Amino acid sequence: METVARLRRGFERVMEVIVVLLMVALATLIVVAVIYRKMGDSFAWYDEVASIMLAWLTYYGAALAAAKRAHIGFEGIVEGVDRRLGVALVLIGEAVVIGFFAVLAWTGWTVLQVLAGDTLVSLTWVPVQVTQSVIPIGAVLFIVGQLLSLPETLRKIWAGEKHNAEIDLEELENVLDESEAELPQPGRAAGAEVRR
Amino acid sequence: MTMAFMVIGLLGLIMINVPIAVALGAITVVAMVTTQGMWILPNVGLVMYDGATSFPLLAIPMFILAGAIMNATGISRRLIAFASALFGFIRGGLSMVSIGASLFFAEISGSAVADVAAMGSILIPAMKKKKYPRALAAAVTSSSATLAIIIPPSIPMILYAVMSDSSVVKLFVAGIVPGVLGGFGLMCMAYYFAKKYDLPTETAFDLPQLWATFKDAALAFILPLIILGGIFGGYVTATEGGGLAVLAALVLGAFVYRELDLRHLIDSMVEGGTQTAVVMLLVAASALVGVYLTEQQIPQKLAAGILALTDNRYAVLALLNLFFLAIGLFLHSAAAIILVVPVVMPLVNAVGIDPVHFGLIVTLNLGIGQQTPPVASVLITACSIAKANVWEVSKINVYFVAVLLVTLLLVTYVPAVPMTLVEFFYG
Repeated sequence: METVARLRRGFERVMEVIVVLLMVALATLIVVAVIYRKMGDSFAWYDEVASIMLAWLTYYGAALAAAKRAHIGFEGIVEGVDRRLGVALVLIGEAVVIGFFAVLAWTGWTVLQVLAGDTLVSLTWVPVQVTQSVIPIGAVLFIVGQLLSLPETLRKIWAGEKHNAEIDLEELENVLDESEAELPQPGRAAGAEVRR
Repeated sequence: MTMAFMVIGLLGLIMINVPIAVALGAITVVAMVTTQGMWILPNVGLVMYDGATSFPLLAIPMFILAGAIMNATGISRRLIAFASALFGFIRGGLSMVSIGASLFFAEISGSAVADVAAMGSILIPAMKKKKYPRALAAAVTSSSATLAIIIPPSIPMILYAVMSDSSVVKLFVAGIVPGVLGGFGLMCMAYYFAKKYDLPTETAFDLPQLWATFKDAALAFILPLIILGGIFGGYVTATEGGGLAVLAALVLGAFVYRELDLRHLIDSMVEGGTQTAVVMLLVAASALVGVYLTEQQIPQKLAAGILALTDNRYAVLALLNLFFLAIGLFLHSAAAIILVVPVVMPLVNAVGIDPVHFGLIVTLNLGIGQQTPPVASVLITACSIAKANVWEVSKINVYFVAVLLVTLLLVTYVPAVPMTLVEFFYG
């Protein structure tokens, strides 16, 4: 149990680093491309590459969300029924999720074989095999994230704890403690704080 | 037959807590294989990849990121200070401040949950200190956050534009008047409750004060206005505008306000990236469904079926509104847009409803859905901050939701309300 929890945290850290790098790269690419275009020199490859990066963000981020159980779903029923039934239903659901991503990983892999030799339209030195690799890799990572968070999910159902998809209550407590510090009073103009 | 199987299977999987995106994908794969055979399978990988590579949808992570950075620079505090100088002299001042600050924040952020978290974590404790009933505090903050999704930029509008193949810029413009009207309506309702509970005013109206707080907050809402102007004027696309908003937020935080909290920034990026991925996985799965539905001509059949009953535009709008209100009870707005919009678009086009007008109806309608339990992301966030019970808050929130419903009716049946500005700029 402990080991799984530690593995899951490690997995989340790695995925978080990838997600942050992709977000930074995307924002930088878009800003630089706009500035260049306004200066009359546009990159022909910019929309294609940016869109591909969004697909990467989608699947690496989805694996992270799987580990955090953050995907949009409806947990009312499995939490509401008898816990034995709840666990059974969750296990069926997990089988569906893993089955779907296994199919996706396999079809993604098949597609990679077919695409051997193809390159991007705008950047002919980038093989499509690299950009499309996100499907089989992302699908496998999703399965890993799902499996690593499964014991915790089952434990919660068994213990009858309610899952709160929207917010981490503990995190919220911290936010509230920090904001206990009064409402900004117009009296002491925030201007004074700016120069601080 | 296959269609009935798909709907039942989908509902069944969602009931046992399979993520909606995965349920959609899994059911579609089964339907594809049974109707077309195993050879279709490699398409699944291709479509799930193509579905996620969309240039217009890049605006979503950009606006989420810009909002997150703005928030890490203490922007919500500044907006609230300005709103208190502007509205604090009215009875029940803090409610007014909450609604006013939400209006300003809406122009930076595209997400109602982000809005309620940013405003609520400061204003709800302040209201409780001033002896506001906590249910009222939660209700005001929650309902005013809905404005964030009809005032540009708006993440649900970006999704709608891509799903319905309509102009995101026109949608943004269409949201301005209903957003301001809705905000005014909420303020009137807040005033009624202030009288009822005999709530205090905050500050006397003080012009130098207003000017001082305005100067401090000015850049924070003028920069986004300039960027929106760039989008409206066609100088940059919505995605590029989002990128520029990120840049503006960074410059503002690092050089003007000098209080960019790096730890907070990285956390917000992880959070924003995850949110984007959750929505995008739904988009990719819906691309898969879309291929299948198009093949089977299902949206066209649905449109023909309803048109056989009535082709009255107002009746169809009423029907669609009721339908969206009903699914808003159980689905997140992003999921509802991705699932339903592609299916109803042929019907909407057939009865001659402007897709931009319809987009605003859908967005506002699903914004109301975020206020109605059981699935009510915004309301639940507000309740957790206020440590108040969802039902207790709903008893008061129902009045504020009524204001939003009136706005929805106005938007639905008086197209001039959302569309006049659109006609003016692009007519």
